[in-house]
Amino acid sequence: MNNVVNKAYKLLRKSEQVTDEQKTDQSKRSFIGGLVGASGLAVAPGVMLYQIASAKPADQAVTNKVRWGMLVNVNQCTEDCDACVTACNDEHGLWPEEGSSTDSQWIRKLTVKDPSTQNTKSFPVMCQHCEHPPCVDVCPTGASFKREDGIVLVNMHTCIGCRYCMMACPYKARSFVHEVLEDQLPSTPRGKGCVDSCNMCVHKVDAGDNTTACAQACEKDGHQAIVFGDLNDPQSEISKRLKDFGGTQIRADLGLNTGVRYQGL
Amino acid sequence: MIGVKNINILRRVFVGLIIVAISTVVIADGSKVPPPKGEQCVEDPVWMRTNHFETVLHQRDETVLRGIRTEKHSLKNCIDCHITPNKDGEYARYSNSEEHFCASCHSYAAVSIDCFQCHADRPESAVREAIKQHTANGINPHADMKSSANELILKSSLLSAQ
Repeated sequence: MNNVVNKAYKLLRKSEQVTDEQKTDQSKRSFIGGLVGASGLAVAPGVMLYQIASAKPADQAVTNKVRWGMLVNVNQCTEDCDACVTACNDEHGLWPEEGSSTDSQWIRKLTVKDPSTQNTKSFPVMCQHCEHPPCVDVCPTGASFKREDGIVLVNMHTCIGCRYCMMACPYKARSFVHEVLEDQLPSTPRGKGCVDSCNMCVHKVDAGDNTTACAQACEKDGHQAIVFGDLNDPQSEISKRLKDFGGTQIRADLGLNTGVRYQGL
Repeated sequence: MIGVKNINILRRVFVGLIIVAISTVVIADGSKVPPPKGEQCVEDPVWMRTNHFETVLHQRDETVLRGIRTEKHSLKNCIDCHITPNKDGEYARYSNSEEHFCASCHSYAAVSIDCFQCHADRPESAVREAIKQHTANGINPHADMKSSANELILKSSLLSAQ
């Protein structure tokens, strides 16, 4: 009988100890939580604000406080790699048919050679997301437009397929869908009779992913040649790199102020 | 005496009753459309039956132009909830006017709408699965539906080029 009482007593003590431990654990947690919260507020408020701004709530419209852009480091890009192109095709459900000259190309690899030095460079070219896009200037229906955050898109609901934008674009960034499509992905609706082009993975950007499929693929492959980010935010990776190393625009003479910049071109 | 006004009211009530009766019959009787995933539509189903295109139209401009991507009235959300697999685990396509939720009613009401020439008519998982199968079989997913007319045009243009 005594034994039983002893055991019960021990058990009781144990349970008390457990609750004590839990209590300390909880208080520790709340202390750590407070610490994290405090440091989150205290350390670099600019960064915090930027993060809040980029992960915009789904019910709010995009603003011109951000301007999305990409920086391609040409020196990191290798000629034999086309991971960005494959990733783009996969993300948006573009399935180029072999031998077809008319399938949509949202991003393509270019290799250029300087005839005087024989120096070759390879890099991806996509829609350059101009600040003053010629495609928007010429569009007769207003289907080609620039979003507040700098992403240039085709509103396929109003696109009549006239292809003026394709003629106007100095980068040949746009494609026309000539044939009936099947198995389009929900995030990238596209179809016959409309023009389409790189949309800077607008569905990912709106979801707060802060990256594009091509940039992700490039990073995964270890090249890290494409950086996506906010050109308006001086603290963003892309702005810092542009500040440190500079970046050129393709056909800068046209004064379009492209959102896609190239480093080492 | 029943006045002309009253007759008109009665007529409207009668027509209304017939519409309700028809719609109930269509929904309850012999429908091959698999039931939706959710229990309650985002709006009153009766209102939705006559006005869903207004909400989808409004939402499409909000999404494309302003980047507003709320789920409530998005076409993607409609599809994710309403297009469910049948007993065999297969998702109906829009071309199947008996089993596809949207097509069943559009076909009944003789509405010809081209949402699904560009938009996916089934949830993303189903599309990805179809793409996987096509790729495994060495078929280009887009080439699947290309009509023989397109092939003929391609062939003739190749011939003329030669």
